[in-house]
Amino acid sequence: MKTKRFFLAVAITALVITVILISLRAYYVAIALVAGTLIMGYRELWSLVRRREMPVIDERVRENVGKSVRNGFIFLVMALAFLMLPFSTVLIGSGSSMVHVLGGLFVSAALAYLLSYLFYDRVRPGLGEKGLKIFCISLLTAGISLAVFVISVVLHNGLSGLLGVEEPVFFVIAVIVSPAGMAVGIVGSLAIFTKGLFNKAP
Amino acid sequence: MKTRIKEYRARYNITQEKLAETVGVRRETIIFLEQGKYNPSLKLAHNVARALNTTIDEIFIMDD
Repeated sequence: MKTKRFFLAVAITALVITVILISLRAYYVAIALVAGTLIMGYRELWSLVRRREMPVIDERVRENVGKSVRNGFIFLVMALAFLMLPFSTVLIGSGSSMVHVLGGLFVSAALAYLLSYLFYDRVRPGLGEKGLKIFCISLLTAGISLAVFVISVVLHNGLSGLLGVEEPVFFVIAVIVSPAGMAVGIVGSLAIFTKGLFNKAP
Repeated sequence: MKTRIKEYRARYNITQEKLAETVGVRRETIIFLEQGKYNPSLKLAHNVARALNTTIDEIFIMDD
């Protein structure tokens, strides 16, 4: 019951904020907010359309929603920090850029929530222990490749600047090895996620 | 964790949907419980056991 009230409160709050955003002529953020809210509440909306009633929200769903909201929030904070560090002057200096970035962040955070919810609700039970292990390894590969790319770019530029010659090792790592690792990690994660999503789906 | 929910359901001729409705959860939750893929709270385990006229330790068997 509390969760139903929570969803109703979220819907009303989103509606009020959307009206305020439209009155402020921030159409892009308003559209992003509506899209984000629809993505987050797709399950409830679908149930209302199909059966004209809210879905049963049991302890498993509550647990999954809680974890997914937490993951979506962490994603939002990390993405905001990641964008603010290199582009803070650009974002604060230009109002329209900031509005576009915030709009994109709303939708991205909602997508992170949705993927997280699907993972806890469908993918994790659908994958066995072995599948889950491979999924974790694929995600780690993608994450480590991204970190290696950033470090390699910094080291390549730093060493090239210090030595006065083009440094080849970190250049090759940044241009060939890291993107390849990232591609393998992302494709592997997506493949296993999709497999888990449709495997033994109840 | 293994469960004997399916066995007890068959004994009393209760469908997953009916059990889910009695206990107040989704049918998917009953499926995951039967497959041992979800660890229920004590309250849910108690409700399931009561709906199947048995005790918690009869239907939920922990792996040692």
